[in-house]
Amino acid sequence: MSADKRRKIVEISHLEKYFGTLKALDQVSLDIYDGEKTVIIGPSGSGKSTLLRTINQLETFDRGRIIVDGMDISDKNTDINKVREEIGMVFQSFNLFPHKTVLENVNMAQMIVRRRSRDEAAAISEGFLQKVGILDKKNEYPQKLSGGQQQRVAIARALAMKPKLMLFDEPTSALDPEMIGEVLGVMKNLALEGMTMIVVTHEMGFAREVADRVIFMDYGKIIEEGRPDALFRTPTQERTRLFLKQILKAM
Amino acid sequence: MAPIDKNHPAAPTVIEISEGAAIPTRRDMGLFTAWRTAFVGAIAIVVYLAWSRPKPYLEILQFIPDGLFVTFQVTVEAIFLSLIIGLFTGLGRISKNRLLNGIASLYVEVIRGIPLLVQLFYIYYALGRIVNLPAVISAVIAMAVCYGAYMGEIFRAGIEAVHKGQMEAARSLGMTHVQAMVHVILPQAVKTILPPIGNEFVALLKDSSLVSILAVSDLLRRGREYASESFSYFETYTMVALIYLIITLFLSKIISIMEDRINVGR
Repeated sequence: MSADKRRKIVEISHLEKYFGTLKALDQVSLDIYDGEKTVIIGPSGSGKSTLLRTINQLETFDRGRIIVDGMDISDKNTDINKVREEIGMVFQSFNLFPHKTVLENVNMAQMIVRRRSRDEAAAISEGFLQKVGILDKKNEYPQKLSGGQQQRVAIARALAMKPKLMLFDEPTSALDPEMIGEVLGVMKNLALEGMTMIVVTHEMGFAREVADRVIFMDYGKIIEEGRPDALFRTPTQERTRLFLKQILKAM
Repeated sequence: MAPIDKNHPAAPTVIEISEGAAIPTRRDMGLFTAWRTAFVGAIAIVVYLAWSRPKPYLEILQFIPDGLFVTFQVTVEAIFLSLIIGLFTGLGRISKNRLLNGIASLYVEVIRGIPLLVQLFYIYYALGRIVNLPAVISAVIAMAVCYGAYMGEIFRAGIEAVHKGQMEAARSLGMTHVQAMVHVILPQAVKTILPPIGNEFVALLKDSSLVSILAVSDLLRRGREYASESFSYFETYTMVALIYLIITLFLSKIISIMEDRINVGR
């Protein structure tokens, strides 16, 4: 795939971030192209979630530059809310709004941020709820739903904003094993439709099947990246090999 | 004041003492029975005294209601004002803006360190040299300023108790900080905040008796006026105490019913 000829959605250059004296991100540079599916793997504490969260500025960074869809988010004059409107994010812990029904969860930001009317928003919401297969629960409150169902609602909520890029921060890590499949299924469909996705996950099967590119991170650095078959079969770095061995043994 | 799971073995012992009358719940049968005994008993005694010895008891009952109205007026107005002050203080206390945070924190520390009675004197007499406020208004302002500091801490705790993922989810959808607060955080914080606010309500109602010192004709003041004319101190203050008791017990009951209603929705 000649990704280079396509438009860059995210340009990250020489990113550095410190938690106190700990270097959480160390000279990370990464370009994400329109329609590309990137999976980031690595041990816990490797900085993969931190990297993901800097892209929509849930985490700040200390040095470097991030340009999202032409907007430089390191520039103080950039309205971060405008950037975030274009980026959907799915969290490990779902983070649905517990005081709102499923439909209201999906409607809310559309009405407040996109200024859609309730009917307009609801029509869009129902479309996405249908797509993630949970329209029949639209009037339930989140706590009545299983983890897998909640996560699918969270995906619909993000998609309803019609983002150009979707970030997934370990979307299946908090799920019971039998529910992982339904969430990954929704994500695969999304990938097939051509959504640009960056996914932090431990699901190697998903990475192998869906990713255009897999990135291995450790100690806040990108250690290795490549096409999934190449990276999984013949990793060039010792650390990658070690990590993959541990992960695959556990599965 | 993070919610603590009392059933958890590692949970520290929590001694719950509020300033208001204890709020009875069905789980606490001892207190529930005590509430009923006190409430029914107080009403029975008032009725019996008024019926058996109309002079002075019935007279007192007829003399006091004006004051009761003032007590309610001061309480309700002060609660309303203190809620507004408390909301902004709470927001200030969690603000990352150093100036706002500093002002809110200083306000809380200063106010909590000065007795309410002194604050009342200060606003009415000391500040009276600069602006001459009517007694009732001074009283309401002093009570609201004082309770606003306590309410602020309640709001702060309530907002902090909302999981931080909620703010992140709202912000990641493009909402501004204010939009996220209004639509996502505060509606959830209200559930945690209501019970302690109910306590403050009851406490404020009782503390409102302090305003009688500023020549505000509240319940206690009316009692004093009656007593000083009739010299029946024992009878008057017995009635005053019983009426306060009936009101606070009634209020705490209403609050416990409201709490149950909220908890049903969880």
